[in-house]
Amino acid sequence: MEKTMNKLIRVIGLAIVGLFSTLLVANSVFANEVNVFSARHYDSDVQLYEKFTAKTGIKVNVVSGKDKALQKRIKEEGKDSKADIYITADAGRLGAFQAEGMFQKGASSAALKKVVPANFRSPYWVGIAKRARIIYYNPKTVNPSWNMSYEDLADPKYKGRVVIRKSSNIYNQSLVASLIKNNGEKNTAAWAKGMVNNFARKPTGNDRAQILAVAAGEADWAVANTYYLALMLSGKKGAEQQAAAKKVMPFFPNQDGRGTHMNISGGGILKHAPNKANAIKLLEFLLTPEAQQHIVNNTFEYPMIPGVKANKLIAQFGLDFKQDLKTKVSNYGKLQAKALKVMNEAGW
Amino acid sequence: MIKRINFWVIFAFLVPLLVAIPIFTVFLSFFDTTGNYLDLLKDTFLLKYLSNSFLILLGVLSLTFIFGVTSAYFVSFYKFPGVNFFKWALILSFAVPAYIYAYSLVAFFENYGTAFSILTFLFGEGDYNKYIPKFDGLIGSMFSISFSLFGYVYVLTRASFVFQSHNLIEVGKNLGLSSYESFFKIILPSARPAIVVGLSLVAMETLSDFGTVDFFSISTLTTAIYNAWISFDDLTTANQLSFVLLFFILLLFVLENLSRKGAKYHQNSKGNKPIPKIQLAGSKSIFATCFCSILFFCSFVFPVSQMTYWTIKFPKYFQDINFWSLNMNTLLLVFLSSLFLIIFSFMTNYGNRVSKNKLISYLSTFSVSGYALPGIILAVAFITFISWFSDFLSSIFGLNSFKNVFIGSVVGLVIAYFVRFFSLSYNGIKSGYSKINNSIDENAYLLGYSKLKTFSTIHLPYLKTNILLVGVLIALEIIKELPITLILRPFNFETFATKAYSYAAQDLLEAAAFPSLCLIIWASIFILFISKYILSEK
Repeated sequence: MEKTMNKLIRVIGLAIVGLFSTLLVANSVFANEVNVFSARHYDSDVQLYEKFTAKTGIKVNVVSGKDKALQKRIKEEGKDSKADIYITADAGRLGAFQAEGMFQKGASSAALKKVVPANFRSPYWVGIAKRARIIYYNPKTVNPSWNMSYEDLADPKYKGRVVIRKSSNIYNQSLVASLIKNNGEKNTAAWAKGMVNNFARKPTGNDRAQILAVAAGEADWAVANTYYLALMLSGKKGAEQQAAAKKVMPFFPNQDGRGTHMNISGGGILKHAPNKANAIKLLEFLLTPEAQQHIVNNTFEYPMIPGVKANKLIAQFGLDFKQDLKTKVSNYGKLQAKALKVMNEAGW
Repeated sequence: MIKRINFWVIFAFLVPLLVAIPIFTVFLSFFDTTGNYLDLLKDTFLLKYLSNSFLILLGVLSLTFIFGVTSAYFVSFYKFPGVNFFKWALILSFAVPAYIYAYSLVAFFENYGTAFSILTFLFGEGDYNKYIPKFDGLIGSMFSISFSLFGYVYVLTRASFVFQSHNLIEVGKNLGLSSYESFFKIILPSARPAIVVGLSLVAMETLSDFGTVDFFSISTLTTAIYNAWISFDDLTTANQLSFVLLFFILLLFVLENLSRKGAKYHQNSKGNKPIPKIQLAGSKSIFATCFCSILFFCSFVFPVSQMTYWTIKFPKYFQDINFWSLNMNTLLLVFLSSLFLIIFSFMTNYGNRVSKNKLISYLSTFSVSGYALPGIILAVAFITFISWFSDFLSSIFGLNSFKNVFIGSVVGLVIAYFVRFFSLSYNGIKSGYSKINNSIDENAYLLGYSKLKTFSTIHLPYLKTNILLVGVLIALEIIKELPITLILRPFNFETFATKAYSYAAQDLLEAAAFPSLCLIIWASIFILFISKYILSEK
């Protein structure tokens, strides 16, 4: 019977050794590293980090997760946080995190200021890739005039023909924030009510599901980000979706006015970053032509720097459309709560 | 009294206290700042959140009741084609987490989804999207959660049916009750405690679900707490919402406990001959087979086929995965967590047994709170508590910060799992312990055995089956666990669940298929390993 006890003790001992060895591995110090917290989940980003390591010898460590939960972790860890860079999609999120004082200046280094347009960076964060939130339509049933706008989608003549995802989605919050910035809160509230009246169905699914709804004839108009259509056209979602995507046309709205709503994926250097110099190096690397080419070919976003061509699946729809460079993306974060309120009140 | 305070008792006191920390944290951290989220919420969404949570709960409870009780009834009392297969096949549904079920559901029914592909393949090109039913997120959540959780009701109800007094049913027959009448008048009422226990487990998991409702973007109480606390930093609102949620859960918990007590009086047929199964014939037999087949198909074959289909159709994603490290990480977490959970549950149980202290016994009851709290809330509460505690110790004793030891490490993960699943493990061991008569202990002490020796030479060997069972249940939960792992994990650390999630988050469910499939296979292996204990008819 002593045997059982011995066994028990041995197992416990083993477990403790195991625990500590994993602890050591988890906490082992790589002198030359940079730690990334990312709410973007692309495998292609990880490949890019590997390229960076090969080039510079700096090891890149990654934790990915849900945007807000990651932010909470960074905040609570405070000055003990090992995180150097926080990367996420949507300027609204970057702006909100900046407002909480979680970034330090330095993301837009002198080198980056030269290549990244002022509209897509701040002292605290820098855009890595661009996307447009555009209108999609069914060319068999409707034909938009060249100057159609987001505002027009609320026109009663489109009753029951518009699909868009829920108000809880950050892309919608940023789009509506830009409308508030340009048209005022009152007008935007009226617009949101008009949109809701025009909905073909209760908002459901992600951006791709909206495009598919137009392909399937459930609606004539959808609002979704640009890269979703390219993703389907690429065949990564199978032949059926590739064929479905061809039934839908993208349309870049507000060409007559401020231009199409643009947003970014971007990153900033965290307040307590232990490896700030490496963090700047990584951000600079992500904005080199080589890295940009890799990003646009995998995620189908638009390049952030001049001289890099968008992937042909997205370039075929035209690259010379007028982008909204007037509305600073930093507004998306500032007006986020108002945007959500406006949509909620409209029953979106 | 003093004599009673020893190592074991202190243990029985401390462990539940540790486990209860997150719940205290959730409440205590709400006494300072506040935002204006509540006003926004009150005007528009609060009612919606409540009604969504309530509707999902109602739907899931109804569905799991119908699925679980009906299948348990057929399998326990009748012979029909396939009955021996369904008996264990139905518990495989445990292997499919609700969020992976949700991926399959959406992928199958969406415009130009798998259903469309199948129709095109069978009948050629056509405009099939109109005819494919579309799921509202609410309905989708209900079905996903129901199919992945009905197993609780099935297993518990079946166990109660199998042990049901044969005599009662005989008496009913002699009184001229039809099988229909005896089901509603005898069988169902006497299995009620077991059914209630099953349903309350389902209810707790449903209320604390995050992955599924988040995937369908349905706002529930849980997502509202998450938003209020994490997105808006509005602690008052989060507090109030948490309070509503905890009230719900506490209610369920009391209900469950009462039913467990009730169950003792009903399961009195031990030693009776097993109930002879009735051979079904004709349409009845076809109905029973069909019902079980459809249930098995929907709950297990459907999601597995969808994932397999993708894995084969998109082999490219296959290569992108570091298969070896995913397996190692998942198993490491399973191993460490089950080990610590089992050891500590044992010691706590034993401490409880030797102390006979009411306070300690209440405290261990309270430790279920970890299970009742949604994983994502628990994870954040854990981070908040560790940070606070570390800062507190630094400011008083000038200690170095130990945040990095617990946040973003395997140690932290294991502790968070510990808190979450302690009640599962504690109660599992407890149910075995309650079968060892106290007089055995007293005899051992009379023979001069120390407490440690009684524990190691008498209790431990006696509870081998329980340990196995509890270990596997923990393994299943940890393999499927997502929100805690996602936020607390170290750098460059992926499990099957986080990998599947991260592909799903970039809208590549096709790539999520392979890790999902691996997750289901691992879980199935564990289930098959213990199925003979779960389904024991002795």
